[in-house]
Amino acid sequence: MSQFRIPGKGRVDHAETVSFSFDGKRYEGLRGDTVASALLAHGVHLMGRSFKYHRPRGPVTADSAEPNALIGTSRGAGEKEGRFEPNTRATVQELRQGLVAESQNRLGSLSFDLGAVNDALHPLFPAGFYYKTFMWPRSFWDKLYEPVIRHAAGLGRAPSKVDPDSYASRYLHSDLLVVGAGPSGLMAALAAARAGVRVTLVDENPEMGGALLSDPGIEIEGRPAWDWLSGALAELNALGVRLMTRTTAIGYYHQNMIGLCEKLTDHLDEIPEGAPRERMWRVRATRVVLAQGALEKPLVFHGNDRPGVMLAGAAQSYLHRWGVRVGERAVIVTSHDSAWYAAFDLAEAGSKVVAIVDTRATPPEALVSEARARGIEVLAGHTVTGTKGRLRVASVTVNPVRGGTVGAARLLHCDCLLMSGGWTPSLHLFSHTKGSLQWDAESETFLPGRMTEECHIAGAGRGVWGYAEALADGAKAGADAATALGREAEAITPDVAHDRPGTGESHKELPTDRKSHRVRAFVDYQNDVTAKDLRLAVREGMRSIEHVKRYTTNGMATDQGKMSNMNGLMIAADAVGKPPPQVGLTTFRPPYTPTTFGAFAGYHRGATFEVTRATPIDGWAEENGAVYEPVSLWRRAWYFPIGGEDMEEAVARECRAMRASVGIFDASTLGKIEVMGPDAVEFMNRMYTNPWTKLAPGRCRYGVLLGEDGYIRDDGVIGRLSDDLFHVTTTTGGAARVLNMMEDYLQTEWPDLDVWLTSTTEQWATVALNGPRAREVLAPLVEGQDISAEAFPHMSVAECTVAGFKARLFRLSFTGELGFEINVPARHGRALWEALMEAGKPHGITPYGTETMHVLRAEKGFIIVGQDTDGTVTPQDAGLGWAIGKKKPDFVGKRGLARPDLVAEGRKQLVGLMTEDGAVKLEEGAQIVLDPEQPLPMKMVGHVTSSYHSATLGRSIAMALVEGGTERMGETVHVPMPDGVVRAKVTSTAFYDPDGDRLKL
Amino acid sequence: MTTQTHDFTVIEGGTAPVRVEDMAPVARFSLRLREAHRAAVGQALGFDLPQRVGDVARAKARAALCLGPDEWLIHAPEAEAEAIAAAGAGAYAEAPHSLVEISDREISYAITGPAARELLTIACPRDLDRLATGRAVRTVFDTAQVVLWRDGEDAFRLDVWRSFAPHVRALLDAGQAELSAGF
Amino acid sequence: MLLIHCPYCDETLPELEFAYAGEAHVDRPADPSALSDEEWRDFLFIRANPKGPHFERWRHVHGCARFFNAVRDTVSDRFLMTYKAGEPRPDISKLEEAQ
Ligand SMILES: [Zn+2]
Repeated sequence: MSQFRIPGKGRVDHAETVSFSFDGKRYEGLRGDTVASALLAHGVHLMGRSFKYHRPRGPVTADSAEPNALIGTSRGAGEKEGRFEPNTRATVQELRQGLVAESQNRLGSLSFDLGAVNDALHPLFPAGFYYKTFMWPRSFWDKLYEPVIRHAAGLGRAPSKVDPDSYASRYLHSDLLVVGAGPSGLMAALAAARAGVRVTLVDENPEMGGALLSDPGIEIEGRPAWDWLSGALAELNALGVRLMTRTTAIGYYHQNMIGLCEKLTDHLDEIPEGAPRERMWRVRATRVVLAQGALEKPLVFHGNDRPGVMLAGAAQSYLHRWGVRVGERAVIVTSHDSAWYAAFDLAEAGSKVVAIVDTRATPPEALVSEARARGIEVLAGHTVTGTKGRLRVASVTVNPVRGGTVGAARLLHCDCLLMSGGWTPSLHLFSHTKGSLQWDAESETFLPGRMTEECHIAGAGRGVWGYAEALADGAKAGADAATALGREAEAITPDVAHDRPGTGESHKELPTDRKSHRVRAFVDYQNDVTAKDLRLAVREGMRSIEHVKRYTTNGMATDQGKMSNMNGLMIAADAVGKPPPQVGLTTFRPPYTPTTFGAFAGYHRGATFEVTRATPIDGWAEENGAVYEPVSLWRRAWYFPIGGEDMEEAVARECRAMRASVGIFDASTLGKIEVMGPDAVEFMNRMYTNPWTKLAPGRCRYGVLLGEDGYIRDDGVIGRLSDDLFHVTTTTGGAARVLNMMEDYLQTEWPDLDVWLTSTTEQWATVALNGPRAREVLAPLVEGQDISAEAFPHMSVAECTVAGFKARLFRLSFTGELGFEINVPARHGRALWEALMEAGKPHGITPYGTETMHVLRAEKGFIIVGQDTDGTVTPQDAGLGWAIGKKKPDFVGKRGLARPDLVAEGRKQLVGLMTEDGAVKLEEGAQIVLDPEQPLPMKMVGHVTSSYHSATLGRSIAMALVEGGTERMGETVHVPMPDGVVRAKVTSTAFYDPDGDRLKL
Repeated sequence: MTTQTHDFTVIEGGTAPVRVEDMAPVARFSLRLREAHRAAVGQALGFDLPQRVGDVARAKARAALCLGPDEWLIHAPEAEAEAIAAAGAGAYAEAPHSLVEISDREISYAITGPAARELLTIACPRDLDRLATGRAVRTVFDTAQVVLWRDGEDAFRLDVWRSFAPHVRALLDAGQAELSAGF
Repeated sequence: MLLIHCPYCDETLPELEFAYAGEAHVDRPADPSALSDEEWRDFLFIRANPKGPHFERWRHVHGCARFFNAVRDTVSDRFLMTYKAGEPRPDISKLEEAQ
């Protein structure tokens, strides 16, 4: 048994030992220990080094507010190394067999840290150090400051391997969510559940009970606290309350949505197959009870950060929950009654309590007499002016304070110093709701004020102190919540014996007789912010608490100011010379405690990172070696390399094969909308720029869709199947947007039109067949439609059968060659594709991907909306003026096209660019200038939108938006690039077969 | 209608807490019309088309789910697809509407078992306790739009657009693995 | 994540089913070509952007698919009410009183 463990005491299982290692040394703990309690049981207080000064630090709390004892944890080396986690709080991490823990933020060993040289140099690192030091010279940034800062930045080391764990998430709907299962939370849950409310009770600890776990001497309803607790939990369980432990409410969002992070496996020796590590719960509760309790404040004095100095409440928890005495010789320094009880309990457990030092001149007489009865020296009206000890506190200097004067020092030897600066309600979640805080002058602390949510706050979280009051307050909150939910509820008040009520005072830094430059009194332990830093910040002009916070980094550590905010405020307020409520607290933000990225990501990693849409023909592409590119949420076959081809080679081959014979392309991702109803043609006339009235059934047309501003939004070929039925196609990325826009006009502007829209994007698989041999390949498979040039001319559409499948067949071309698009029900997409591949074999049919499709269309000067347009391009700009139905009285964007800036001279227009050297391919996005000799910054007149090597033409081609482009035909423009200026001639965008002869097949 | 049973881990006691199964294809139609023609078209298709969003009318093996004030989703045996299309066409002149076959747009999963409702909470933000048996709603599952049918206390169906289905299925499988492992 | 009451479904549902659709009561003119450049500019671009109650459009896109109107307080991010498309703009002072 380790030296500081009390046999049989605490809530740990003394029968089961758990072994773990810390910095390579093996230790034994007990089942139920945290890393901190197990190390303390071995007398180990030194667990880490501070961030800035590398000062030795030990745990100051026994809970999730811990700023000091941050360690790296893992499940060992090798494959499991991916489970390394930095900055784990030793006070929270439960022991598991084989746990590997390491201290962090040290150079060398934990007990001899080379980085501690920073501590000796501390006058060089004042508040605002970074702002002041690294401002100039500019050239020092890249070479010196940044690398040094980067090396020193951050706590702990980042994991080097991919996290092998999985993370989960769920939604949960609850009538009432109770946050915190201490006395108030338990009573709230009981009162509501007894009234029939659907209750969820959560607590971040491995077991419920809150403060009761650390105060077993209390009696509730005639039973010892822990017996009462078991009974309460059993009743809650029986009432069907969802009880969630190891579950932290990390954020409180609008309309009672609470984020909960539940830890599922970190405490387990082995991770069960299929078990996620953590789960994020998104809870929607009709009512919420916040019963988070209060946080104990440290006192601010010289040397208050030495290992062995900790909160009195933490020492009491280690004693009662884990059966661990935190030292042999304790000195208590306090401004609140609560620490006296900790002293009594510790004395009871066999530690020597050297003295209780109370900053108050007259602590309650009952406490003083009990201390005297136990033989404990009481030093009332005293301050602490320093501690000594290299890696652990060895002595403390105390001085009387009379009339504001610090008297003679006295040295007390000890191995632990237990402090309490009083308690502050845990306001974090309440602050997330933008609820206002209210200063309570009597207790000198902020309490929750005006609520913005359907929320109740109970117990120490609203300043209620003592078990009897906390239990009653919780019961009332639960009953109030139940009443608000329409239930009849009763708030019973349990009898409490041996209660431990108390009061106290709040302090700025404690009075001292040390010279101010020799005082190191820490406010924010983790960020090494001292009281002096805060006062310096105020002296240097920071008046707002928000500025003080950022200048000093007080409250910006991972504990989110749990330890430091109130002390920081008291000191800053004193320095500014205003009362604390006028200075105010900085805003607490989610998450309440550090939360893993995994918990936020949930299932969104790896294959389920986001939706990846695949077409019905995707499987064939994959089996045939397609390289993919993402297009909106789709993955599309980009090109089909053969025998080690690179992209350029594959695309050149695919292009040549299509122009020479026949190519096949999966166009299934195109958006498709069925427009049906008696007013279908009127609707089309109003939506698209083109006239539709005269388009005969069986014919199709290229349509352009604008926004009301006159800019191109989308395009696509639209077929008229009957008087009342149009088959509209959209761009792949625009499908959902276009349907939404159309629905918007129909529902809100033209509700009188008898026409309806249905997305059929995924109803159909679409295969494009292009090339001079396309008809020869297709014709034998078609039934019910003559597809000869005469019977089925360019821009026709028909319903027929292809390869035995019911089909919608289009004759259209996005390549400039004879082309067909065959739509069949999606489930038959792959069979159609394979049938066409088979039929095309004699013609050397070649599958091609999106890159080849892009090259082929660029050779014809066909635009891609979103590539050659950017939301500021009109049809005229894009050379599509012919698609505007000028005689139509109105269509979406018609009035927009007449805007002064859209009819002005010198707009950017889409033109072709031919580099003087055809082997040089322009870069897409490259800027264009007219005079490359002009001084910098040059006037940029446009940019390259599309650029490819054209195998067909044996040279590069490009499209560009150029100011006044259509007036510049034949002119030379310049494209400055890092390795020289490229000269290019402005041309038409119709690079290939400008008269469209190849369609006449 | 179930054609393929997905592998799942059997928990203690020998029953899986939840099963996820691909369902055989059905005929699906999207029906849009004005209130004035609801009765006529409904009659042609064999339904009294429900008016309240989420209500389902059933006629033999056919079901018509009210998705919105002017929108219904019709499920029917595959063999009835042509008859439905023909019935709609027959009523069109008197009662104009839009009846579009979408049989291949979506596929369906059956989710059954004592943990079925819990499994859906991994990605569906609705309060499923408020979805009564026999009703169905269009909602979201993660980032995919779905139609969620509640066929019983422990029996649900999800209609998912074809290309979103593998993602939805992968999430359901991940959630099912958790539940089977007792987490 | 907000809860939004859809006036067509008559249910209060998670925001994830909805999409924002801009300011409400900005009607497309019956004959846009009759508008001056200034009038057309105002229709296209000029919006209220208030601090406080804002009339705006939402679509229950992953539900009943209807566009509807809402009054949302841009300070508290709370919906004061929702109502069907085409219904008149509600009296804001009465709403604030009800708050
Ligand atoms: Zn709705």
